[in-house]
Amino acid sequence: MSSDSPGFFRQLPSALPGLALIIITMVVIRNWIEPWMGATVILGTKGWLIKVTHLNYILLGIICGLLYRNVIFGGSMPEVFMNGFKMSRLMIKTGIIMLGSLYTFAAIVQLGAMAIFLIGGFVILTIVMVLWLGKVFGLDRSMTGVLANALSICGVSAAVATSPAVEAKGSHVAYAIATILGFGILTMFISPFIGHALNLTDLQYGAWIGTGILNSGQVLASALAFNPNVAPGTAVSVAEIWNIMRVISIPFAVFAVTVWYWAGKEESDSTGHKKSLGTLLVEKFPMFVVGFMVMVFLTSMGAFGDVGIKGGPPASDTIKTLRLVMTWVFGFGLVGLGGFIDFKELRQAGGAPLKLGLIVGTTKYVLALIVVFLIKDYLVAI
Amino acid sequence: MANEQKTGSETIGAAGAKGKMTLFKDDRAEDIGAIILTVIIVAVVVIMGMK
Repeated sequence: MSSDSPGFFRQLPSALPGLALIIITMVVIRNWIEPWMGATVILGTKGWLIKVTHLNYILLGIICGLLYRNVIFGGSMPEVFMNGFKMSRLMIKTGIIMLGSLYTFAAIVQLGAMAIFLIGGFVILTIVMVLWLGKVFGLDRSMTGVLANALSICGVSAAVATSPAVEAKGSHVAYAIATILGFGILTMFISPFIGHALNLTDLQYGAWIGTGILNSGQVLASALAFNPNVAPGTAVSVAEIWNIMRVISIPFAVFAVTVWYWAGKEESDSTGHKKSLGTLLVEKFPMFVVGFMVMVFLTSMGAFGDVGIKGGPPASDTIKTLRLVMTWVFGFGLVGLGGFIDFKELRQAGGAPLKLGLIVGTTKYVLALIVVFLIKDYLVAI
Repeated sequence: MANEQKTGSETIGAAGAKGKMTLFKDDRAEDIGAIILTVIIVAVVVIMGMK
């Protein structure tokens, strides 16, 4: 891998204008737009915009980012704002690490066991389905390999992580990313409506989208769009445990798809290089998960006071402040995420990869909802 | 041989530094950056809570 970009700290000053735009956007949304929506009377109903459209600061933030790039700035983010928007994933990861303060290890074990069962099953099922459909549609093996992990784990990160291992070209990754982002954006906006229409609980909704939505940022956005509260038992606390389990499985899924890819290539070509599971674990393991687990450990040890689990003592002031900060950090990150949704890039998706992506993505999305309904009595609340 | 994709890329045509969706050199560096930022935020919140 080349390292042709300057270091983080050298680029940091150039990120300030973009960061300022993100922060001002979120401050305006939370201090003026959201309260205005809550107070405005439409069709005789006070707060109609929130009650009926379920718009909140998270969805508004994403929509603003999306409008900046695709409408206001005419399809590409101006250079002056670009580096600030590139901080968005850092913020989302920081928020996810801080989410560790919602859980104790006992809760993780309770919820995590079910998550491992569901996520593991869906990852395997999706990979098998993509590999089979890739053969049916006559897709290139590299393209199929990238799509298998992009659709089974967490979208973009998995597609990028898999690409060198299966000799994928830039266009393969481009198709895969365009397909999953397009599908993900759709599910991100419609899931809260479906969740409310079906009267799903936070637990059921979190389990569903944590399993059925492809991209980590979109899982987070969709959970907060359903219920913007950040506390134990809310949609985001459930969905993120599911998401963490899925992210952890990246190295294993990359290994499985790499083995499949090279097993089919051995007869014709042996010039490439495979990597062992151990090497992949060291290289690809998402380190922010370690930060998340350290946060869970500190919370379990009582480092920040009471967590505020239902039936227990109320949350400490430190925990309350951390949760408030988290909502802002997520808000900033998701304005930035919206700024990376590029309609031009989404139009690049097409042909057999798009067909395959839509079939598998929709199957996973619907099947996850059905499974959550079937096992709703066995889902463990935290 | 494949075009090696930079990890940390989210946009199409992300083979070069310009297309990366991060200021960090890769995902691992960004993860560590997120851990450090969390430590700073938590430390500030805890210290402010003590006053």
